[in-house]
Amino acid sequence: MAAAAAALRRLSASCCSALTPPPLFLRPPTYPSTVSHIRKWKQWAKTLTPSVGSSFAALDNGPDATLLCRELNWLLDDVVVHQQDDTSLLPILDHPRQDDSQPVYLRASLDDLCLMWNQRIHQRRPFQYIVGCQHWRDLVLCVQEGVLIPRPETELIVDLVSDVIREHSDLKDGVWADLGTGSGALAIGIGRILANGGKVVATDLSPAAAAVASYNVQRYNLQDKIEIRQGSWFEPLKDCQQKLAGLVSNPPYIPSHHIAGLQAEVGMHEPRLALDGGSEGMDYLLHLCNEAASMLKPGGFFAFETNGKEHCQLLADYLSNGLKGSFSEIKIVSDFADIPRFVTGFRSVPK
Amino acid sequence: MGPRCDLLKGKNRTCMNIIRTTRNQSAACLVDSTSISSSFSPFSSSISDQAVSDHDTVASETNLVGSLKNRLSYRQGTFASISSPSHWSGRCGFLKPEWCNLVSNGAQGVRFMGSQAALEPKTSDGLTVEGILSSHWPILDESESDWKSHAAAVAQSIHLIKKRLQWQKLVVRLGLLSAQVNKPDLWDDPVQAGKISREHGSIMGKMKEVRSLEHQLLEHIDMIKLARDENDNELESESIKALLQMRKDSKEKELQAMLSGEQDPCSCYLEVQAGAGGTESNDWAAMVMKMYKLWAQRRGYDVSVVDEMLGETAGIKRATIKVEGEYAFGYAKAEVGVHRLVRISPFDAAKRRHTSFAAVAVIPILGDGSSRVKINESELRIERFRSGGPGGQHANVTESAVKITHLPTGITATCQNERSQHRNKASAMAVVQSRLDQLELAREAQMNAQHTQSLTEIGWGNQIRTYVLHPYRMVKDLRTNYEVTDPDAVLEGDIDGFILSYLSASLDKDTDE
Repeated sequence: MAAAAAALRRLSASCCSALTPPPLFLRPPTYPSTVSHIRKWKQWAKTLTPSVGSSFAALDNGPDATLLCRELNWLLDDVVVHQQDDTSLLPILDHPRQDDSQPVYLRASLDDLCLMWNQRIHQRRPFQYIVGCQHWRDLVLCVQEGVLIPRPETELIVDLVSDVIREHSDLKDGVWADLGTGSGALAIGIGRILANGGKVVATDLSPAAAAVASYNVQRYNLQDKIEIRQGSWFEPLKDCQQKLAGLVSNPPYIPSHHIAGLQAEVGMHEPRLALDGGSEGMDYLLHLCNEAASMLKPGGFFAFETNGKEHCQLLADYLSNGLKGSFSEIKIVSDFADIPRFVTGFRSVPK
Repeated sequence: MGPRCDLLKGKNRTCMNIIRTTRNQSAACLVDSTSISSSFSPFSSSISDQAVSDHDTVASETNLVGSLKNRLSYRQGTFASISSPSHWSGRCGFLKPEWCNLVSNGAQGVRFMGSQAALEPKTSDGLTVEGILSSHWPILDESESDWKSHAAAVAQSIHLIKKRLQWQKLVVRLGLLSAQVNKPDLWDDPVQAGKISREHGSIMGKMKEVRSLEHQLLEHIDMIKLARDENDNELESESIKALLQMRKDSKEKELQAMLSGEQDPCSCYLEVQAGAGGTESNDWAAMVMKMYKLWAQRRGYDVSVVDEMLGETAGIKRATIKVEGEYAFGYAKAEVGVHRLVRISPFDAAKRRHTSFAAVAVIPILGDGSSRVKINESELRIERFRSGGPGGQHANVTESAVKITHLPTGITATCQNERSQHRNKASAMAVVQSRLDQLELAREAQMNAQHTQSLTEIGWGNQIRTYVLHPYRMVKDLRTNYEVTDPDAVLEGDIDGFILSYLSASLDKDTDE
């Protein structure tokens, strides 16, 4: 494990130039400090959270003080270089011990950390943008402003795909498409479960997203399996018509009039391009459905994430009635909060 | 050695307690030795091929008995047949010539004295291991070069190992088997005969190991006394050094004997749940959890928080940590039960005395090799733990807590400390798996009626310990009466004394049953 992690770090160090600034956990540990200094810093950072209390939560469903404290731990987890035996320093931080003066190395100066934490509390900059990464499934994906932070709900799409390829092993070797890939989360998640012959083509209109996705793909050494193409939805996929074994997407689906009321972390910091789904939020979902029939091969699988129950029902209805005969086994799948979240199905096989 | 060494500190009390509890048994143990002698004598005359490997012990035992009659013949035994500490090997120079002559004859002496092999081993002046135990020599720190203290510590370890082996039962069993092995018609039924011989051999092996420890101890003592008689300072210090080494080795063996349960070597989950009483209880639960985190850290275990539900004002309502490392479960299981705190509550403006409770549960994490309960995915309900809001692209959540319910049993587990939902789910799943495994083990244990001793009842048990911070200061274990007067040290994780005294007491209970 340690060797793999080191290899991963080396690899990413070689292509770090792609992201500026690099994610916190990949920066070199060049700032000497001591346990007691870090502890003092943490105490200071903690004093900012009680003022938040549950006010963000009441305002726009934002984080409460407990959650911010957990983020604080994770921030330190990313910035403090672990000791040689790879045990975390965090327990030591909470419990004074004799070796408080032992030197430790940080990947950012304590001053920078102050700046970051102030941004978190006062500007509500998303935690993931501050540390430059999001833990998603068993991956650590680099993210930065201009790229949607992958959501926990979306993790389930990989499970859905995994179930499908277990039952339809032919799909394992085919070409899969992830449209509007953002950080490349779905493309990488699926790329890792496909067989050796399988491939993923991922598109995104945003050059920033395409760059971050490419970076993440390389970090997981999947550049031979996953291709990132910049462009709108199916446009870069002209060569894949009727060939796709699978199609997944988490397109923008928030109705335009909801954008203003979004949680500050989302509305003020994440790219509108990745959120705004038009007046009803269905613009891109419908576009995906309309094109899916001409892109998927017979028996090909699709899974789309939606805004919730209403979207799911409308979409399922459209797929089975509006595009009658094109698709089969259309299903609505709920997320872990029991909200109907995904619509899945297969391209019909002609009789 | 590392983490175990810490365990030894502050153990004196435990040992003293153990000695107290075992005092009454020394009489019984003397009875053992006579029954051994009767079981050994037929053995030595009808020794079969499969038992040939037992000869060396018999040899050493014989030599010891011989030493009662002739001190010199005992000396030869020391060098001829017992694995002498390595540093002695180059020291033959100090042997007097007449001893060396006798060394070569050692093997012969073995045969004729076989029938006396099982007599209680004694030093030349008649000291036995039981005798050492009952003379209550104080057990000092290893660094003190007091041979009596070392000897008492070794005797202590031997005693515990014997208890763990259920020595008395072994002796009885060996007697029965020896009688059967001795029958002339034994091999009329070869299958049965093989079975008997194998069991006979295995019990002999176990007893042999213990007996050889006893011999080794007594020989060291003899050697030290001899060196003193002869004013041989060098020999004396070498011998004390050897005894100290033996003390360390037998401590290791003792721990192995204490933690010989099938799940003892496993890592574990440790859960703390606050009792009723709001903030004061929640604060107490957090103190207990901190005590375990610090304890685990001292022992070199990896600790990670799986789940933590904070109290409204302070402390925790509930928390689960994962303690990873060898024998984590073996030790932590001694902490299962309700822990009671008495103090002036810092949360009470009127400064009244409060009593609060926190319950501790420990669940072993079985290795992949063990047979584990198969979980059917369709029997699980998986939920986002603290759901709310429309989710999806609407929300930026760094927390993705997952709660898993195993519907047939109602077992639940939550995890919120991982940074992705996927990992939270995996982590909660692992807890569910361990709980189910535990449930299954408990069920099996109930079916084997003999296995219903307290150690296997891992759950929210009874009150086990009281921590008093006011009006006096004391921590007392209600199961063993082990107590200390420095609650701060205990709450900083210095709980090995409690754990060891409990484990030893459980052994006592085993032997009583």
